[in-house]
Amino acid sequence: MGKVVDASGNPIANATVTATSVDNGQVRTAGTGPDGSYRFEGLPPGKYRLKFEADGLKKLEIPSATVDGTETAVPDARPEAGETIASKPTPSPQDNLPNAPSSSKTEPSLSDLGLSPEQTRGNPREQALLDKRTHMLKIHQRMGLITTVPLIATVIASMSAGGKSTSTATRDLHTALGGLTGDLYGITAYYAIRAPRVPGTETRGPIRFHKAMAWIHGPGMIMTPILGIVAFDQKSKGEKIHGIASAHGPVAIVTAGAFGAALLSVSVKF
Amino acid sequence: MNERILVALALVTLPAFAGADSQWVLQQSTLTYHVSHPLHQTEGVSHAAKGKGICHAGQCEFLIAVPVKSFDSGDSNRDLHMLQVTRGAEFPLVTVRTRLPESAAASAIINADLEIQFAGQTAQYKQVPFKVETQGGETHIAGTIPATLADFKIDPPSLLTMPIKSDIPVRVEMTWRQQ
Repeated sequence: MGKVVDASGNPIANATVTATSVDNGQVRTAGTGPDGSYRFEGLPPGKYRLKFEADGLKKLEIPSATVDGTETAVPDARPEAGETIASKPTPSPQDNLPNAPSSSKTEPSLSDLGLSPEQTRGNPREQALLDKRTHMLKIHQRMGLITTVPLIATVIASMSAGGKSTSTATRDLHTALGGLTGDLYGITAYYAIRAPRVPGTETRGPIRFHKAMAWIHGPGMIMTPILGIVAFDQKSKGEKIHGIASAHGPVAIVTAGAFGAALLSVSVKF
Repeated sequence: MNERILVALALVTLPAFAGADSQWVLQQSTLTYHVSHPLHQTEGVSHAAKGKGICHAGQCEFLIAVPVKSFDSGDSNRDLHMLQVTRGAEFPLVTVRTRLPESAAASAIINADLEIQFAGQTAQYKQVPFKVETQGGETHIAGTIPATLADFKIDPPSLLTMPIKSDIPVRVEMTWRQQ
């Protein structure tokens, strides 16, 4: 409970008092009554940052919760206006351990540790960014795993799709599996590329290798079907695969290898 | 005007320490969390903890705080994911509070009751043992806090659809100096 008054001691009604826990960022708000008093019902003990807002007066913030019943005169920026604040958060009972922290005046606060408000204040926008990033990368991870199945099937089907005695049906199966792999890969890549970046983060560790592999399997996943179409066309005409189309197999193998290495790099600790 | 505000705030703050007999300041620290996954055993380390102890009438109140994002597991992707699941941007600090008798510094082992705030939750750990060594005015303590994700209502993150274990023991090594 506390009271908000101006420099002359007159109570300020309808002021908004916001208490933000320095420890966990939880926010509570209260308004002042006609006598300038306010009350936070059941406010847990702890350190709080207090903000006072009222029409016609400059917003006032007290960054430290060590206010604790002490009256403080803080003049407003306007010469004729001012604020006097008395604030005392009302603690609620909590479980006491045999030597649990007390709420005595000798208890250090976060401001005593030299932590700046920026370090102690929560950032909901950054949290939302991280939530979105994680959500998208989870889909990226799952889609990558799902893509592995048709990728392996495509490689297996390729073994019987390129020989002299292969049937059209075998080649069609290989083509269909390759198409499915490409589509799933595209979705997988989309969620990695579109996942928001977190400013000020330096890429370190296995994720660097994972990203480096993308520069191999990414172009490979574009080149492989293009070369495959040329090879398919040559084969359908009864020709032996020749020219640039003969690179379809090697490019596909390098692409699949890079994709597998990327997957393993973030899955297994070497 | 700013100076006057500062003076006013100082007046508010000073009484809090007026009765302190002595203080402890955290000089160095290494906090290491351990995460277990079927495919990984990972550790994240922070040296960024700050701490203070204020002693009065034979009892010392300690507060230690460490930024969540200061933990480094050697992989920036994992660290960002850890920051997300622990809601480290919304609740940027892990704080530990404990109260110990002033004579505890002379013991070989102290058993501390810890109140830890993390990820917007508060958990209490009773009688956590720490080894104590005092050398040349510095007191070294070492121990492990048996923390779990469940204590802080954190859903265990998964890798390849396999969740990590809830146990995340935190190894604590600290050097304190009395002032």
